[in-house]
Amino acid sequence: MLTQMNGIVVDFGPVRAVDHVDFAVEPGEIVGLLGENGAGKSTLMNVLAGTFPPTAGEILLNGQKVRMTSALQAMRMGIRFIHQELNLCNDLNVFENLYLGQEMLGTGGLLNKKEMAERTREVFARMNVAIDPWTTVKTLQPAEKQLVEIARSLLFKCDLIIMDEPTSALSNQEIDHLFVIMRQLKAEGVSFIYISHKMPEIFEICETYYVLRDGQLIGNGKIADITESAITEMMIGRALAEDDFTHKEYYGTDEVALEAEHLCGDSFEDISFQLHKGEIIAFTGLQSSGRDMLADALFGVIPHTGRLTVNGKPMEKSTIRSFMHKGVAMVPRSRKERGILNDLSIIDNNSMGFYNTHLKKLLINTKEEKNRYNRVKDALSLRANNPKNPITSLSGGNQQKVILGRWLETNADVLIFDNPTQGIDVGTKFEIYHLIIRLAQEGKAILVFSAEFPEIFKVADTCVVMYKGRINTVLSREQLTEKNMMIYSTGSNLEGKKHDQTCQ
Amino acid sequence: MTRPANSVERGHMTLGSAGKKLFSDYSYMVSFVLILVIALSVNPNFFTWRNVTNIFVQSSVIGVIAMGMTMVICAGQIDISVGAQVAIISGFGIEVLNYTHDIWLMLGFCLVFGAFIGTFNGLLIAKGRMPAMIATLAVQTSCRAIINHFGQGGPFTVAGGISTEPYYETFRQVANGSVNVFGAKFPYPMIIFIVVALLFGVIMQRTRLGKHVYALGSNEVSARLSGVNVTLTKVAVFSITGLMCGFASWIYASRLMAVSASSAGSLFEMDAIAAVAIGGTAMSGGRGKIIGTFLGVIMFKIINNILVAAQVPTFLNGAISGAIIILAVLLQNMRGDKK
Repeated sequence: MLTQMNGIVVDFGPVRAVDHVDFAVEPGEIVGLLGENGAGKSTLMNVLAGTFPPTAGEILLNGQKVRMTSALQAMRMGIRFIHQELNLCNDLNVFENLYLGQEMLGTGGLLNKKEMAERTREVFARMNVAIDPWTTVKTLQPAEKQLVEIARSLLFKCDLIIMDEPTSALSNQEIDHLFVIMRQLKAEGVSFIYISHKMPEIFEICETYYVLRDGQLIGNGKIADITESAITEMMIGRALAEDDFTHKEYYGTDEVALEAEHLCGDSFEDISFQLHKGEIIAFTGLQSSGRDMLADALFGVIPHTGRLTVNGKPMEKSTIRSFMHKGVAMVPRSRKERGILNDLSIIDNNSMGFYNTHLKKLLINTKEEKNRYNRVKDALSLRANNPKNPITSLSGGNQQKVILGRWLETNADVLIFDNPTQGIDVGTKFEIYHLIIRLAQEGKAILVFSAEFPEIFKVADTCVVMYKGRINTVLSREQLTEKNMMIYSTGSNLEGKKHDQTCQ
Repeated sequence: MTRPANSVERGHMTLGSAGKKLFSDYSYMVSFVLILVIALSVNPNFFTWRNVTNIFVQSSVIGVIAMGMTMVICAGQIDISVGAQVAIISGFGIEVLNYTHDIWLMLGFCLVFGAFIGTFNGLLIAKGRMPAMIATLAVQTSCRAIINHFGQGGPFTVAGGISTEPYYETFRQVANGSVNVFGAKFPYPMIIFIVVALLFGVIMQRTRLGKHVYALGSNEVSARLSGVNVTLTKVAVFSITGLMCGFASWIYASRLMAVSASSAGSLFEMDAIAAVAIGGTAMSGGRGKIIGTFLGVIMFKIINNILVAAQVPTFLNGAISGAIIILAVLLQNMRGDKK
């Protein structure tokens, strides 16, 4: 299906979110849509998927002008939008999710479960995926959930699939698998619009690109004719200094800030390491490697066994508050669900860490909190107008800066950054990397949990690679390459050994 | 969607959108003025001091409870046991008064007993992980059954007449007395209501507890991860509501001097929730203001008075609270802050 959008304008009140954008997708084409957060990508795609109508402009499908009035109508026309957040019902099983709202009915209006399960199995077979249609979605891995979302779009006639950051929860292997499926569908004539912040993916899977900035189309063309840095420059309007990070200095001291000995927990075991003041250690691993759980355990979110020492003092209670009072801070992953307090003002979001650690007086001093906000605003170059507005009035990157500010204001010695740049535009990402390094320079001990090699490479002094809940290896900065990270994350180095063991 | 994001980020917050925000933040002011206008057109003598203080006095019992209810709802919870709490606390409270002849001991008992029931509610919800609706429903029916049992259908009456026992008149003064300031009469319940509201305003806006309540109602996971003691906060909001029920019971008993076990405090939960809803507090938690509830309680009372003047049967009061809650929440949703 040939999809064209001509002169699309979307106004939200006085704000022009999309400004006269022309956009086209050929049949069987994979288009990369790029831009920083707030550039208007999601808005443009929501118009195409019928979530809301454009203020001006027209949409043509196969040369025919159409009016999208609802998401359901767009679906009927063969357009599917896979949102960044998964929209699955955890308590239903796989095929029930696939057919949600479009259930197949048998005799007497009862559900025809057998037929639905069978059709689901066929779709999975087409995608070359081994998921049982009868499994409850709750028990699936994040990557599998993503595949279920994709399967949902393939269940019915579908000519165009819009994917908004589909790989943020996927490991590299799973991403490869997703790409295989996409290429297969492409061969069947299905078109894709692929939104991602991850440049290597865009260059691997897409044929053409569109770059948006501040609601305007900045450029488009063939991927083959452009370089990563050129696209990045288009997105942020200036060149990025990648080189700044290639000669990262080591600021570590002899003083141990955090020491873990044989930590065990829900999905990790026997974790031991030493973190010095001024040192940055990165933890990486696949989604199922226990990386997330370890981060949580190091902040008392989930219980652990084994010995954990912070600034020379053993942790007796493993509650979040006791960790905070010992001088540990954690910027959590999944900002939307675990970071922001969406109804609270920017100021209160920023001050919440202080309230819970250092507020001694009965009453909060409004002026003092305003100063605290201004301090963070200057230090992190936060872009916000009125600090009394709710935090949701900010873009993702600026929200994350407020969360960073929240924890910096607790004056913690040990800072844990769990996936700190998730869903954040490149410009802000770089600012956060600079901040992390600056904090190390000031003597903070830092742990970064991440799955992205470029991120780890920019900040880490050493990188701990986890595999199946255990430490597989510790890579020094010299050994830190994308290939090594991949080998140890996927456990490829262990295959020989495993074989030996079974042969004994 | 990052719809509002752009407006702030790019500094395009114009007069129009600012006005819209102002309206959605202070819509209770608009409804308040509207209701005052209606009241004035029905009753030209509406703004006499006597009428105004009367409205405050009539609002005071629900008003004190609604302050606690605002906290509970802002924390994303609900408490439907407040009416039954008032029945059991005021019933036993009158027994305590009859036995000790000391109104302050009675107040102490009411506060402690109320805080106890509230804490029990809170523990069921926070530690027992029960939905607030179910826990407080169970406590509601239990409280009502217990006080019915002890009352055996009859009322709890403050014993003795004016001549025989001096404490009788002293206690009656709690709800019916007043102080003279600059020649104007300020009834005690009015003063109590205003002071309690001011206190809650400060707690919600200027203390850590207040911030924790909003944080909890906004996003429990984020609140926990930013160091909020979620369990303690949950228990606290219910304890405080219980405490306020105790305080309200004291005033309530004084106003009536005899409370019936079966009907005392009935539908108070509805009235309190209605007042909170008209006051603009989000039923899903996270957002709400004490000043909104304060005006909400008064609006609610004025509406009641208009209806009484219009001779709407009192039996329909419940239907009216119901209608007001539905209207208020519908209006909230229509204001367009769809999440």
